[in-house]
Amino acid sequence: MNKNYFTGVFHDEESLVKAFDRLKEAGIKPEEVYTPYPIHAILDGMGNKTRITHAAFFYGLFAVIGLLSFMYYVSVIDWPLVFGGKPFNAFPSFIVVTIVATILVITLATLFTFSVRAKIFPGKKAEIVHPLATDDKFVMLFSDTIGKEKEEIVVNIIQEHGEVEK
Amino acid sequence: MEEKFVVPQKFRLLTYGLIAIGGISLLLGFLFDSQRAWANYLLNNFYFVSLSIGAAFFIAIQYVAQAGWSAAFKRVPEAMVSYLPVAGVLFLLLFFGMHSLYHWTHEDALQTDALLQHKSPYLNTPFFFARLIFFFGAWILLTAALRKFSVREDFEGGLNYFYKSEWYSRVLIFVLALTFSLFAVDAIMSLEPHWFSTLFAGKIFMAAVLHASTVIALIVIILHNRGHFEMLNHSHLHDFTRYIFMASIVWGYFNFAEFMLIWYANLPEETFFFVDRWHGAWKFLFFFNIVVNWAIPFVVLMPRMTSRSKPVMVPVIILLMIGQYTELYYIIWPATVHAAKFGWLEIGSFLGFTGLFSLVVANALSKASLVPKNHPYLEESVAHHF
Repeated sequence: MNKNYFTGVFHDEESLVKAFDRLKEAGIKPEEVYTPYPIHAILDGMGNKTRITHAAFFYGLFAVIGLLSFMYYVSVIDWPLVFGGKPFNAFPSFIVVTIVATILVITLATLFTFSVRAKIFPGKKAEIVHPLATDDKFVMLFSDTIGKEKEEIVVNIIQEHGEVEK
Repeated sequence: MEEKFVVPQKFRLLTYGLIAIGGISLLLGFLFDSQRAWANYLLNNFYFVSLSIGAAFFIAIQYVAQAGWSAAFKRVPEAMVSYLPVAGVLFLLLFFGMHSLYHWTHEDALQTDALLQHKSPYLNTPFFFARLIFFFGAWILLTAALRKFSVREDFEGGLNYFYKSEWYSRVLIFVLALTFSLFAVDAIMSLEPHWFSTLFAGKIFMAAVLHASTVIALIVIILHNRGHFEMLNHSHLHDFTRYIFMASIVWGYFNFAEFMLIWYANLPEETFFFVDRWHGAWKFLFFFNIVVNWAIPFVVLMPRMTSRSKPVMVPVIILLMIGQYTELYYIIWPATVHAAKFGWLEIGSFLGFTGLFSLVVANALSKASLVPKNHPYLEESVAHHF
């Protein structure tokens, strides 16, 4: 397996955050950081803001509009039937269906969006950058493409706090 | 972390002024339009009792869930709960207004109305007040015990009081669920003794939780602006907002479910409540309540940015406080006053009760350290961040 990346492995949160801060001072950001639990400094420092909540909101909005207009079309325009003296457009009773179906639409649509964006699909082989990244170690991932000069700085900083593995 | 809150003299004078306004307007009301004055009295009493009950529920939830973030602010809901004894006395004074408010106290109505006769073993004045005394007694005893543990913890420390409080909180949640539901049925639903709705009590309870969370957040924000609660950060604000957001959705759900089931089943003995309120100002208030108590908080407080900023939270909180008033107004006025009258009497009596509530809460806040000293989750609360 040809690797085009190298990793820094740390044994505790403190050394990871120290190395991370020094790298930030040097203007270098790791491609990815794998930690056993969420660390605020890393979350803030990586600056990866997810936009999936916005996507979910708009899926929900479209679902509500779509479902309500579908039910209106079915029960008022296409096939009007009188149920127990209710008006054709029995709006309050549509809302229950709309709530439930909207939740389903949002759940499935965000799931698929996430899978597409994260390139995850059933039967995909897991990419494990370091055997201990799924264990209790803190792993930083760097691409080889950052260049020789920067690589040297990175290696120097990491070696003070942890180990470099190529 | 010693923080002492001293009630400012100006504030104290302001509350006295407000109480005087309320007293005068209610007095004039009793002289000229006693029924409307009693309706005001009931509404304002219920408004502030539900704030206290919601605050008590808030404390209990924090203990049962062992929530860390709110530990530093727990003196605020505790102070709000300290209004309960005052409210109990005020509610007992309702004895003199029973005849103006509750149709089922009328002898002549009782004789001709089979349904009222059927309900009279439960809905009669002595039993009504026996229940009131029992409800308020239970609430005051349990919340006073929680308050006592909380204050003693400041001096003695240790986990003992925390575990005791947690146990009392479980009891309190159970008692509140039962008694506040019955209380809502007694005080408000029995204004229309022919009407019944199973979801009514749940809706009123959720409204209490919703509006108590807004007032807790408001008091915390006001105190922070005055220089207290230095540890308050955006994460705390976000958590306060989550409470408001959650309770608002549950209230909206209950309100809708109540209406939708009655609308769908179309049984005359249930629908008349909404039919009576389907014209004029009532119809406007029906939609106004949904917009103010659910739609606006739902949309405005949803994004992360707005839900952790004070300039957005405060207007929503004020709007929700108006929303609680209009919701009670929507239920009480058509049953008692029979006309959408709103004037100086309503404003004056609401200001009076606001003054009384603020005075009691401020006094209670000044009696103990504003931030609990030995609460086991205090560190976590101060460093709260997410």
